[in-house]
Amino acid sequence: MATNQGTGEWYGTDEAVSRVRGQAFKTLCLGATLLALLAVFVLLLYVANDAFRPLSADIGWLLSFAATVVLPVLAAVGYYYTRDTKAGETATIALGLPVICLLLAGGVFITFEHIVSVYQWLSILVSLGIAAAIVAAHNRVRADADLERFAVIVGVPALLLWYVPDVILSLPVLPTQSLALLGSFAVPIALATGWFVRRQRESDRDGAIAAAVTIVGAAAGLGVAPVVGLSPFVWMLLVTITGVPVGLYVESVFRRGAGVSGLAFPVLVGGGILMGVVITNALGFTGPNPWLDWGFLTSSPSRTPEDAGFYPPLVGSVMMLLVIVVSAFPVGVGAAIYLEEYAPKRGLLGRVVDLIEVNIGNLAGVPSVVYGVLGLALFIRWGGLGSGTALVGGFTIGLLILPIVIISSQEAIRAVPDSMRQASYGMGATKWQTTRNVVLPEALPGIMTGNILAMGRAIGETAPLLIIGAPAVVRIAPASFTNKFSAMPRQIYTWSSEIDVAFRHGVLAAGVVTLLVVLLLMNGAAIIIRNKYQRRD
Amino acid sequence: MSERSIDVDLTRTSSGQVVKERIYKWLLFGCAALTVFVTASIIVTLAADALTFFSMVSPVEFFTGTEWFVRGDGGTYGVWPLVTATLIITVVSAIVSVPTGVAAAVYLSEYASDRMRSVLKPALEVLAGIPTVVYGYLALVYLTPALQWVGIPVSTFNLLSASIMVGIMIIPMVSSLSEDAMSSVPDSLRQAGYGMGATKYEVSTGIVIPAAVSGIFSSFILALSRAIGETMIVVMAAGLRPRMFNFANPLDNLLSSGQPMTAGMVNAVTSDATGGSATYLSMFALGLTLFTITFAMNLASDYVAARYQEEYQ
Repeated sequence: MATNQGTGEWYGTDEAVSRVRGQAFKTLCLGATLLALLAVFVLLLYVANDAFRPLSADIGWLLSFAATVVLPVLAAVGYYYTRDTKAGETATIALGLPVICLLLAGGVFITFEHIVSVYQWLSILVSLGIAAAIVAAHNRVRADADLERFAVIVGVPALLLWYVPDVILSLPVLPTQSLALLGSFAVPIALATGWFVRRQRESDRDGAIAAAVTIVGAAAGLGVAPVVGLSPFVWMLLVTITGVPVGLYVESVFRRGAGVSGLAFPVLVGGGILMGVVITNALGFTGPNPWLDWGFLTSSPSRTPEDAGFYPPLVGSVMMLLVIVVSAFPVGVGAAIYLEEYAPKRGLLGRVVDLIEVNIGNLAGVPSVVYGVLGLALFIRWGGLGSGTALVGGFTIGLLILPIVIISSQEAIRAVPDSMRQASYGMGATKWQTTRNVVLPEALPGIMTGNILAMGRAIGETAPLLIIGAPAVVRIAPASFTNKFSAMPRQIYTWSSEIDVAFRHGVLAAGVVTLLVVLLLMNGAAIIIRNKYQRRD
Repeated sequence: MSERSIDVDLTRTSSGQVVKERIYKWLLFGCAALTVFVTASIIVTLAADALTFFSMVSPVEFFTGTEWFVRGDGGTYGVWPLVTATLIITVVSAIVSVPTGVAAAVYLSEYASDRMRSVLKPALEVLAGIPTVVYGYLALVYLTPALQWVGIPVSTFNLLSASIMVGIMIIPMVSSLSEDAMSSVPDSLRQAGYGMGATKYEVSTGIVIPAAVSGIFSSFILALSRAIGETMIVVMAAGLRPRMFNFANPLDNLLSSGQPMTAGMVNAVTSDATGGSATYLSMFALGLTLFTITFAMNLASDYVAARYQEEYQ
């Protein structure tokens, strides 16, 4: 269009080619990009400054940490950047993975502390185990009854979950809490680790070793943890959720032998911090007095800024995410599977599918506050659920992220090469068997990446929570999904209406930094998964 | 699965299998159809309660009134103060985001080296992932005092700082969508331009931007629909006092507080938690107006992108 319009008045006709104009345009464009980025990053630096208050520390404290942490880190970064990019990648993951795993361990800790007790979890697991045994037995005895088995697979677990947990919980003798956790949490994770290693290496021996090491590491907590000052419960979480992935990663780096020097980076950081602490203690320098500290993360909101904490909203956010994970994710992935694998291209149903696709695209653009109104009308006024509960919050925000989940899962499924499906059909597999055994395992990393990013979106949504009536302040962490709850952004909004400077520039900044760090770590996890499993062809 | 299928009896009837396949298919179809149910229920719930609201307050008063004043039990419901505040937010945020976003897109698509792009693009993605409540906080606690420090006489809550922040928030959206449109312009067009002796600047402004103009415009529409529906930034930084557009002194509207439609909804639901009053129901009327506007804009964006797209083989 543009090319056949302006034949008479082409640019250089009455003026010389201008180098200055080109340079100026390029600089202008670069400037606009940087302006957008810098504007926000400078503001975020202010927030970080308010949250951590580094300038309230002794100058000696700052200097010693600069010497032990900042300088070595800068030197290492320079080395990786200029000499050894491969090791630089290893260094990023080696530092990021433990931190992300610690966040996950925190989430699991909150789950076991407030949402399902260890015994409830054990009883659920036992009932599922019994259900699996019944299904397996049915499979053996009546191998031909496909439909009957379908009913058994759906019905038996539901029935058992309804009755068995109560029976187990009412047993007179229960194992101690640590033993129950070892059996119900560490053992399944050890088995999963063993299965994963066995599949990766195609070696039974390696799988058995991995499983055994995990169990022994977790069980060691029963004896070692009190000595170090941790509860056996925390020890087990740390070993299973943080220790296992980090161990697997370190081992894989050594096995591949590429970028091994990157593993030194987290050691450098950790060692530097330790040395800094030792030096400042020895010399008697006082550290900064940050708003964001352990007390902030573990105490309840308060009228006085010094005591104000973030713990109940943290628990609320975890509960909301749990509701989303079990409600929106299965539905979204199911819809994506239908649209990519099953949907007909033409005919009446084909037109319905077109309508669904267009509709999903538009739902992604509906303002979040409208979803809040939908949740209020659908779940509270018609559904009769209590206003401002974690259940309603999770459902409402689940609806909000549903289009995002569907679109990203569709992309992941679309990326599975068609030749794999054809090979599966060629072996005589049905459509569902192909989907379940070929397409889904192949698309899983992509689906997980998209879902984690969607969770990041969900965790920061505020407006729907205001509309469904999440209370301004929750002082005690909610004990069940039907209690009133508050989430991190809801609490931040409450604090933003405080006029006190200590709230505005202190507590509020600490809350915002916490939220952003959680988000950043979730995005980091998504990026690590994406890079690890990205198709290299 | 694979171990078991070795001794499977191939002669057995497969009717159970067929029914099972069908059940799975319709189960998955149900998941996909749920999204239509979501849209339908948004429309039904909003319309039902909006109708109740209009039985209490006449639509004429609602759509022509110039005063919005709500209490827990009643008030005056003229939607124009909220609409004008929303318009101000949209216009100012467009002034901030459209030139910046397009310039950033031109840089990323035409000028940036691979290394530069690999840094800038993720950084813009991070920007897009920051929750709006954080942007609202930045506007309220840092941007407004900064504006006052520069010498602009803004009040504590004001539309200017809110709309600048909304503009900054939608920059990544404009830039990434526009960049997609520019990257999909085929390279042969650029090469033809260079072959005619055009400079990089002339190729960018004379060939790439005109060729990608449908995608760029559809990104504007999407971004502005996002600005209209933005809630937390305006609730936190623009204040909750509805104020009719002051024609005598247009600049004054920017410097003082105002209440856009989204903020009006939040205010309505928080001022009457029990439900049932006209104030509470006004939220649904506002929601319906908002949903209609944004939905129409999203459809328009799709239409512009599809209708005016240049086809290249």
